[in-house]
Amino acid sequence: MRRSYLGEFEEVVLLTVAVLAEGAYGVAITDELERQTGRSVSISAVHAALHRLEEKGMLKSHLGEATAERGGRRKRLFTVTVLGSRTLHDIRAVRKQLWDSIAPNGLPAVSL
Amino acid sequence: MKNPPRWAVRLLELFCAPHLREEILGDLHERYGRDVLRAGVAGANRRYLLNVLKFIKPFALKRRTADDSTPSFLHPVMIRNYLKTSFRNLTKYKVSALINLFGLSLGVTACLVIYLITNYELSFDTFHPDRERIYRLVGIEKFNPRADSHPAGFVPNAVPAAVREEVAGLGTVAAFHNIRSTVLIPNGSEKPERFEESDIRSEEIIVADPQYFDIFQYQWLAGNPKTALNEPFQLVLSERKARKYFGNLPLVQILGKQVIYWDSVQVSVSGIVKEWGKPTDLTFTDFISIATVRSSRMKQSINLDQWDDIWSSSQAFVKLPEGAKPEQFNAAFQQFSRKHFQKEFKFTPGLQPLADLHFDGDYVDNYSRKAHLPTLYGMMGVAVFILLIAAINFVNLSTAQSVQRAKEVGVRKVLGSSRKSLVFQFLSETALLTLLAVSVALMLVNPILSASQSLTPTGLTFNLFSVETGLFLLGLTVCTALLAGFYPSLVLSSYLPALTLKGQSTLLGGQKGYLRKALIVFQFTVSLIFIIGTLIVERQLNYIRNKDLGFTTDAIIEVHSGRAGKTELLAEKIKQLSGVERVAKQWFPPMGMSYMMTKMKYYGKKEIELDVSAKVGDEHFIPLYNIRLLAGRNFQKSDSLRELVINSTFAKRLGFRKPADALNKMVEFDGTKYPIVGVVADFHEQSFHSKIDPAFIGILPQARNLGVKLQGKSAEELKATLARIEEQWKAVHPDKKFTYDFLDERIANLYEKEQKTSRLVTIATAVAILISCMGLFGLATFTAEQRTKEISIRKVLGASVAGIVALLSRDFLKLVFIALLLAAPIAWWAMTEWLKDFAYKVDIEWWVFALAGLLAIGIALVTISFQSIRAALLDPVKSLRSE
Repeated sequence: MRRSYLGEFEEVVLLTVAVLAEGAYGVAITDELERQTGRSVSISAVHAALHRLEEKGMLKSHLGEATAERGGRRKRLFTVTVLGSRTLHDIRAVRKQLWDSIAPNGLPAVSL
Repeated sequence: MKNPPRWAVRLLELFCAPHLREEILGDLHERYGRDVLRAGVAGANRRYLLNVLKFIKPFALKRRTADDSTPSFLHPVMIRNYLKTSFRNLTKYKVSALINLFGLSLGVTACLVIYLITNYELSFDTFHPDRERIYRLVGIEKFNPRADSHPAGFVPNAVPAAVREEVAGLGTVAAFHNIRSTVLIPNGSEKPERFEESDIRSEEIIVADPQYFDIFQYQWLAGNPKTALNEPFQLVLSERKARKYFGNLPLVQILGKQVIYWDSVQVSVSGIVKEWGKPTDLTFTDFISIATVRSSRMKQSINLDQWDDIWSSSQAFVKLPEGAKPEQFNAAFQQFSRKHFQKEFKFTPGLQPLADLHFDGDYVDNYSRKAHLPTLYGMMGVAVFILLIAAINFVNLSTAQSVQRAKEVGVRKVLGSSRKSLVFQFLSETALLTLLAVSVALMLVNPILSASQSLTPTGLTFNLFSVETGLFLLGLTVCTALLAGFYPSLVLSSYLPALTLKGQSTLLGGQKGYLRKALIVFQFTVSLIFIIGTLIVERQLNYIRNKDLGFTTDAIIEVHSGRAGKTELLAEKIKQLSGVERVAKQWFPPMGMSYMMTKMKYYGKKEIELDVSAKVGDEHFIPLYNIRLLAGRNFQKSDSLRELVINSTFAKRLGFRKPADALNKMVEFDGTKYPIVGVVADFHEQSFHSKIDPAFIGILPQARNLGVKLQGKSAEELKATLARIEEQWKAVHPDKKFTYDFLDERIANLYEKEQKTSRLVTIATAVAILISCMGLFGLATFTAEQRTKEISIRKVLGASVAGIVALLSRDFLKLVFIALLLAAPIAWWAMTEWLKDFAYKVDIEWWVFALAGLLAIGIALVTISFQSIRAALLDPVKSLRSE
């Protein structure tokens, strides 16, 4: 089975695109990431990741509407491709399998 | 809302790949909006910049190679497109394209011709190796303590050799003497082959020091440059001259052949050099060794040891050692002068740079043709102005038309054309037109040069394929294209597509056209200056032609019998001929290039000494030239000077109020006293550039030429008489050529420079007016078209045709009037400067300006009336129907 490797950041970005569904573009993704993970993310890092994911074929994009708050410039809106979706599912399956393989007391207890 | 700092945006645009720019800038803009609310403008600016800098990452820097990006504006495809659209546009707007092409062609042709002339003149003697170290030995001469000092382009015969000995560190000194001679080539026992003096120009034969060839480098085709001029009776010829004398013999065989100068000075060819073939004043072709002078009868005419007199044929050049400055010899020259010139005659040597030889008219000589630098600069100015006028036409017509093309610009912009590529498209239209104009000019330049040979310097040829000309043409094309196309292309490309496509283009076109008006005013100012110049130059020349000279010039010829001799016999014979009214022995006619100044003393109440011009002639001189006697009588026939006739200026300068008072007074000349027997009215001796000097008329030994007054007016009669005179000449001098000049032609030659200026100004005026008028015509066509509807409505409301024509003309006439106000003072100043050269001149009168203004207005009216009358006569129904 062909496997695509994703970096941790790429994975998170890809997931965020999925979360945002229709409105996934640079700033929205950055904001959502900051909100969900609580870490500070730079726009350029997100753009770089989006660019890379699109090159890998996990994202596709089209140009959206221009708005005044963007100085009359258009957004690039991203959606997850089938390949992207499958990769996410794969990762999730591997994780799940791994979680399931851990003995009940295999991990030190933490309080959430 | 605040916008992010412009320079930070620029920075990102600079490094970021074009296909990513929009989304990144958009995101950053959006983020900026949030940051302004959170951190204020300063903080937001800082963060914006930080964000921009963070984008310096490989993914953002990398350009996409995809082919759907817009091609660079200089991509071959785009250039092909520019040319194609340019061609289409030029053929679409035929009238304005033709007007522009015609104007630009005229401008470029004028520029090219003037460039060729000035470049030719300025290139004289610029090809010599070490030319900046070559100087001519010149000096300041002073004939006696009371005379004025004059610059002299020549030196006393003995000076070069003495300078070489006595002035240390001067380097190489080479003297030479210009001579004139008939050339004989001995031909065994047969009669020698003969080349007449008159066929050999005075700039060809010199008697030269061997050092001449150390200073000026020639390519030697035969003979040894080291020894070729060292011995007496040696001769170096140029290749062309050797061919002329000896035909197609191999050059080596020509060495050793004999050539005879001055009837008996036989020299043998010791070297042959190649001509430089470049513009030079040193056009010598026969170099006789200077050692020949002392060993032959040449010493009777050329006294190499002469200190107390000076001849224009005596020349010397100096090549300074490396690093030497001409000023450092001033002291040595002063000392030299004090040592050698202790008597009446003073001479102080000086150095004239070789570069000045062609231009400095103060230092005259027998061979160099002087070019007038101010005239050259004036011509360059004229060329620039004519080109400017043509470029202005282009600017005006294309900005006026811009309205029509606004839609095109809009569509192009919508389809993704950048401003840069639009500018390039319009510039390429100009460039195409300019290139066409240049090719037209190239076709015209040779016919023009050959047609205007009297205006162009001799020896000027046009070589299209020289590097210099090529560079000039390239520069000219680029300059003209930019000058004409830059502003229109900026204006056209600036239109906003949203506005032009909505049809609001008329609003855009009406930037009031201030620039256009200013440019028209400029064009007409230049044209008016030219018109005023032409009028005044023409008036002055007319004045010169028609002012009473104080003597008659009609049907008078000078026969140059001085050199040939037997003047008496010849005079007797010519006097007998029918068709000859009178014959006078003379030196020179009353007016001409040559004159003689001398000193005269008068012992009245106090001693008066004057510089006086001597008019040498016999008792027939005054009646022949019809010089008017104011008092007394003509002097009586005698062989030597007994009595004098003076002019009225002389009488006045001696202090006599009435001419008659001067009669029978004695003046001293050359140590002897002579009575004044008559006073004549003033007559002009020199051109109108100089004042009339005191002068006397009397018989002196120099009176060996003849002045002949012919009868009859018609050309046939004169021709027949001349033939009879020539017959008599042949009878007296069988082997000498008969040479004569018509006096009026000789006098006309004095004003050659002015005639040339006049023709030049006239041509420039014609060209300037023509181009300006074409521009005006184009603009009138355009405004008439643009205002068709307005005119129709006016007509419907009852306006008359005349009223409409006036309406359309008024705007233009206003501009011409402003131009007149600007041109008048400039032209007045320029013409005052020009007239300063004349001692006798016309006044600049106000009506000249009025006339020029009327002319300009008339020309402008005629130009625009065609269009405005057509517009006014248009049937209003037709133009109002279509909406």
